[in-house]
Amino acid sequence: MAILEVNHIQKSFGGTAVLKDISFSLEKGQVLSIIGSSGSGKTTLLRCLNFLETAESGTIRVNGKTLFDGENHKQLSDGEIRKNRLHFGLVFQSFNLFPQYTVLENVMLAPKLMKKAPAAQLEQRALQLIEKVGLSNRVNNYPCQLSGGQQQRVAIARALALEPDILCFDEPTSALDPELTGEVLRVIRGLKNADRTIIIVTHEMEFARSISDRVIFMADGVIEEEGTPEQVFGNPQSAKTRQFLSSSLEHF
Amino acid sequence: METFLQQFPIVFQALNVGFLQTLRLFGVTLLGAIPLGLIIMFGSMSRFKPLSVLTNLFVWVIRGTPLMIQLLIIYYFPGLVLHVTFWAKGESGRFAASAVAFIINYACYFSEIYRGGIQSIPVGQWEAGQVLGMTRGQIFFRVILLQVVKRIVPPMGNEIITLVKDTALARIIALQEIIWAGTAFLKGSQGISGQVWPLFFTAIYYLVFSGILTLLLGWVEKKMDYFRG
Repeated sequence: MAILEVNHIQKSFGGTAVLKDISFSLEKGQVLSIIGSSGSGKTTLLRCLNFLETAESGTIRVNGKTLFDGENHKQLSDGEIRKNRLHFGLVFQSFNLFPQYTVLENVMLAPKLMKKAPAAQLEQRALQLIEKVGLSNRVNNYPCQLSGGQQQRVAIARALALEPDILCFDEPTSALDPELTGEVLRVIRGLKNADRTIIIVTHEMEFARSISDRVIFMADGVIEEEGTPEQVFGNPQSAKTRQFLSSSLEHF
Repeated sequence: METFLQQFPIVFQALNVGFLQTLRLFGVTLLGAIPLGLIIMFGSMSRFKPLSVLTNLFVWVIRGTPLMIQLLIIYYFPGLVLHVTFWAKGESGRFAASAVAFIINYACYFSEIYRGGIQSIPVGQWEAGQVLGMTRGQIFFRVILLQVVKRIVPPMGNEIITLVKDTALARIIALQEIIWAGTAFLKGSQGISGQVWPLFFTAIYYLVFSGILTLLLGWVEKKMDYFRG
């Protein structure tokens, strides 16, 4: 059974439709990349999944449980929305670490507030996650003492600390200098090997091609093309996809 | 010269008493206005429209009229217009009225500084807290607040230094603060009259005190240098 089922999601901003009837599903342990030009709706889609935006209609189901239903969403309490969104983790383009906390405190803050486990246990788990993203020697540093790539790796550890079913990345390397993207992409690849379910919105075409199990190409708020990386990158059916790919790959 | 040396201890003593009242008004105003400003800010940022409109109207009136007029109205309105004795007779009543006027006035300015501080925090900080399942209260108190404090220390410092000198306005309702104490020797008090130097001398008190505050505020700023945000 699919871990994630998204059906007929619609969203508009001030009369402009940004997402027009988006449906897709994802199997547990799969990596899905969403590609497309700026303004195609990919980031909005990710934000709808994390309830940072509220879709106008459609449903979102995780593990068969309906987390969002456009029909009755307004009746949900803040607490229920908060609980529902914990099925998803989100890593932002601009990291959004909490500047006044150390690396360890950033990773531990949310689990501690949620009292997920005794503090000592949470700290141990946080240290493990920090080690996994390769920053054990930076545990007590503040975000301003880290490079962008290191900050993004902390953000990944912070998202993992809540053990989300699905981890979302919103252009995780777009704010990084080119020489720093590699370290972040390596961490994401490590997560795939650990069987995490992942959705990535990205402009890194080579990376999307090599890491993904499925690829969605979005254009003008609709899913223009969907399939395996071989299908979408190797043999695109839609003219829009072909045009996008050829102009994206010109950069290389 | 000889008369100056005779006068100085008397004047010094009287100015010290006056300055103590100045300090008291300063302290009570800060103690009241810092939290009241937070409440006014929550009102003006409320998503409940009538509340935010009303609060903003209030802030506009307070910031748009002289503090001196506010002092006069707060002190004299109950007695002269409503014919009720609201303020106690004498210095204690004058102090209470001054404190109320100053707290309300400064809270309005503080609320605007707080609002600017909160709105300057990137929305990504709220969103990061939200996707981590934190409540709005947790995000505000655990993530946003300290960043706001760091950002508002310089403008708050400005207001606080202004407040030191604004306390002199309370003289309009005859609060016996340091300027009042200095003027007394112009009119005649304790055998000294027609002397203007005590009034000029009060400036040194203000100068020294705002110097101490400047150092203190610099220390607070330095304390929060460990993070950028």
